[in-house]
Amino acid sequence: MRFISSRLIPVAALATCLATVAGCSSSGSGTAAGAAQSPGGQPKGTITWYANQFGPTSTDVRKTLITAFEKADQGITVNLEQAPSDTDTFRSSLETQIAGGSSSFDVYNGDVTWPAQFGKAGLAQPLNSYLSSSFWSQFSPGLVSSLTYQGKVMAVPIFTDNAFLFYRKDLLAKAHLPVPTTWQQLQSEAATLQKDHLVKYGFAAQFDSYEGLTCDWTEFAADAGASSVNPAGTASTIDSPQAVQALDFMRGLITSGVAPSATTTFQEQQSESLFTSGQVAFLRNWTYAYADSNGSGSKVAGDVGITNLPTFAGQSGPGYSVTGGWNLYLNPHSKNTPAAVAFMKWMGGTQAQTIIAEQGGEIPTVASVLHDPAVQASNPAFPIAAKNKLNARPSFVAAYSKVSEAIYTNVNAALTGSVSTQSALSAASQQIGSALSNTGL
Amino acid sequence: MARKRRLSWFHVAAVAIALFIALPLYWLIASSFKGAGDITSAAAFPPHPSGANYVNAFSGYNFGTYLANSAIVSVATTAAVLCLGTLAGYALGRMPLRGKTAVMTALLMISLFPTIAVVAPLYLLMRDIGWLNSYQGLILAYTALMLPFAIWILRNYFLGIPKEMEEVANLDGASPLRTVVSVILPQALPGLFTAGIFTFVASWTEFIVALSLNSADRYRTIPVGIALFGGQFTTPYGTIFAASAVAMLPIAILVLVFRRAVVSGLTAGAVKG
Amino acid sequence: MAANTLERRAARRGWVFASPALLVVGAVMIFPVIFSVVMSLSNVSVTGNGIGLSGITGANYSVLVHAPRFWHAVEFTVVYTACTVTVETVLGTMIALVLERLQAGRGWMMALMLLPWTLITVVSAELWGYIYNGVYGVLDAITQAFGVPGVNVLGTPVSAAVAMGVADIWKTTPFVAIMVLAGLVMLPDDVTEAARVDGAGAWTIFWRIRLPLLRPALAVAVMFRILQAFGLFDLPYVLTQGGPGTSTESLALLGYRVLFNDLDFGPGAAIAASTALIVLVVCLAFLKVFRAQVGEQKG
Repeated sequence: MRFISSRLIPVAALATCLATVAGCSSSGSGTAAGAAQSPGGQPKGTITWYANQFGPTSTDVRKTLITAFEKADQGITVNLEQAPSDTDTFRSSLETQIAGGSSSFDVYNGDVTWPAQFGKAGLAQPLNSYLSSSFWSQFSPGLVSSLTYQGKVMAVPIFTDNAFLFYRKDLLAKAHLPVPTTWQQLQSEAATLQKDHLVKYGFAAQFDSYEGLTCDWTEFAADAGASSVNPAGTASTIDSPQAVQALDFMRGLITSGVAPSATTTFQEQQSESLFTSGQVAFLRNWTYAYADSNGSGSKVAGDVGITNLPTFAGQSGPGYSVTGGWNLYLNPHSKNTPAAVAFMKWMGGTQAQTIIAEQGGEIPTVASVLHDPAVQASNPAFPIAAKNKLNARPSFVAAYSKVSEAIYTNVNAALTGSVSTQSALSAASQQIGSALSNTGL
Repeated sequence: MARKRRLSWFHVAAVAIALFIALPLYWLIASSFKGAGDITSAAAFPPHPSGANYVNAFSGYNFGTYLANSAIVSVATTAAVLCLGTLAGYALGRMPLRGKTAVMTALLMISLFPTIAVVAPLYLLMRDIGWLNSYQGLILAYTALMLPFAIWILRNYFLGIPKEMEEVANLDGASPLRTVVSVILPQALPGLFTAGIFTFVASWTEFIVALSLNSADRYRTIPVGIALFGGQFTTPYGTIFAASAVAMLPIAILVLVFRRAVVSGLTAGAVKG
Repeated sequence: MAANTLERRAARRGWVFASPALLVVGAVMIFPVIFSVVMSLSNVSVTGNGIGLSGITGANYSVLVHAPRFWHAVEFTVVYTACTVTVETVLGTMIALVLERLQAGRGWMMALMLLPWTLITVVSAELWGYIYNGVYGVLDAITQAFGVPGVNVLGTPVSAAVAMGVADIWKTTPFVAIMVLAGLVMLPDDVTEAARVDGAGAWTIFWRIRLPLLRPALAVAVMFRILQAFGLFDLPYVLTQGGPGTSTESLALLGYRVLFNDLDFGPGAAIAASTALIVLVVCLAFLKVFRAQVGEQKG
């Protein structure tokens, strides 16, 4: 009987290994197919859109958009590929596939903090040669610069997200309190409501050790006049007296009992559930929370007020809100770039933006749509959003994910009381510094 | 003389263990019947029980497809692992190979490597073979990932069988393969069951490789499917628990069906004394 | 002479039996493992055209060695693994003994016991996250009923680690129990019978006679549990995000963050290779301690 010599096995394995390594060293299927600078005819064909769910979960606004697009542009069919709902899981799936040369999707949704990182790693196709400056001029300059990495625009913004202060109108009325305009006023009003046993907890936000904490931190810090990274993106600025003041205040909300100690484990979901179950008076959350807390699953529907976030006493205007939202990116390995670009261009246009605003309940990125009276009337959050003072996270640096990690792990440690606020900020500063200079883990 | 019924440690332990296992499971199933508004309720019974989450899992998401895909991949992987692993475990346990230690150590070292680091090169490999988004690609990957452990278990059980068994069969004139199949295998049924159930459960619940290799909706498995539930800011506990409760059923049924394999034990008197 | 040929023929047959399995494992896993190790020793750049490797350098490992965060992850993972695997082994053996003695309902008890293990790890973590929630979790409700207010289990480093451990033990003890039960069931009765006739008590029988015979089965179970526990990822990812701060950040979570969040494939691969090395050392040491020899045949 034929036998396989015991020596052949390692040889076979090595051969397989070498063959695959050789095949992989020329990995990737090349850059974007087809020069789409001036497409010869009408772009057509089928493209795939890899997107996570956004807007209300009851109606899928992505399908509404696809139907509207296919009607407006008769030649292109769009397939929707559902993506994981967790942002980090979604990102890891994108990275594996794009770095592996996948063409199984042409456009994909991406967070607003990704342009620099994805630009540096070549995971998105720059759009300067596909979309002219007249297209980009319909967005605010600040927004366009947040999409740009080394002069290349990496994405089309499809909606932006702001943070608001949500409050219980009925409780404030019962206690004869006005809507707070400063954080200190909010803290004392919340304490009063708790003391009068009108509500169990005073304030909820997202203080868990994750990206959302970087958002909340950026808002509190900016309100106090502090920042995390200098405008050039070369040094950390987080170790400052103003930052200590902001962090001390956040910690004080917990130690004074206004915010439950479990706040350090809250993401949006938990803080929102606490609010909709009627157990907390004030909430810092994103645009979606207005429709959600007035929706069918909420015990406080109809009693929810929305306003701009407060700032610290002595500062002017409303408090800062961080800009969130999502963009549309182009896969460098797309096999139908003209059609993909046509879709992206339409998504950044007036018709799509109106659908996203009115049916998706998200803040549109096109300025003219945001100021359209019909759009403003469709959602009480929009007029408030127009008065928001905006601030961005330092995502313009390619090493943003490390910077953000340095921020949220240390701020969370301080908020749980594991370390003092000063030592947390010193540690954060040192880690941000090494992230920016590309040394260290 | 009347016998006193004592509460022995055995009874207490059995009850305590059953409670420890069952209570969180009860909480999972009870919470799967909670509507979105009741998710913060900590009452023992859901305030307004409804099957809406179950309906949502199947109609709002393609859960039926994911169930079918997981079943195909898990059954095929288990079959492959048991066939290949039994032969290899028998050979490494009872046949006079040289280099057994090296092979067992190599298998151990391969399964040591964190899956997270292996995922990206594995994706490249499957891409080059052309088996991304397919059943065979995932089955092949799972088989390779789970064989080391299966071989270790099976080898162990083969080692535990008295040597006389083969000699008896050889004297009877059976070929080596037949010896394995009809004489040795029945003795190692507990080991086969263990390796089989381990492989099945591991394939059923594996996430990161499935996410990377089979990202197209047609070939998604249950864990990847559940990762799609909800939105950026919502984790729909009710729907997730409902889908998981449904996903637990096939395995529970499998275990009940095959429990005799573990429980039967050695046939008395085969080669004793 | 004849015996020698027989021996060699048997050996060849052995390779024929073993090679399909070994080929599958080798062909699929050798490239990824080698690629990872090579990646950990190169300057890696991620581009849209793939993963580019250049040069041989120890820089990735040097970054790790100088990072306190890496050493903290190592320490946490080792301590966590040691504690949970010990508890699981003891508890699993107890469960196996109970199951062995059960006459009626053994199948049902086994099916119940296996259910936690069949839950997808992420879902199990979500379930425990839901139980542990500091304001509306059922654990908080229960402790409040006993008069202890505001228990925030996930909010402090030690309690978060313990909470994670409980969730882990709940889910994976059945694995150890099944392995031990299968081993118990295969133990010959005659030795136990003889000891009982001689008047030995139940504890002595167990400790002196059955446990040593169980050693191979236990060794495999514990070894692979150590291996799996070192890959602790889903629980910190869902329950604590490595928090508070980075106190519950396991090696696998750190590796995931460095690889996929930071796109730092070089150090990420170095973390993976280091993890594998540490686990190998631990496993080999464990095998030595347990005196279970590889390649020995009973007979």
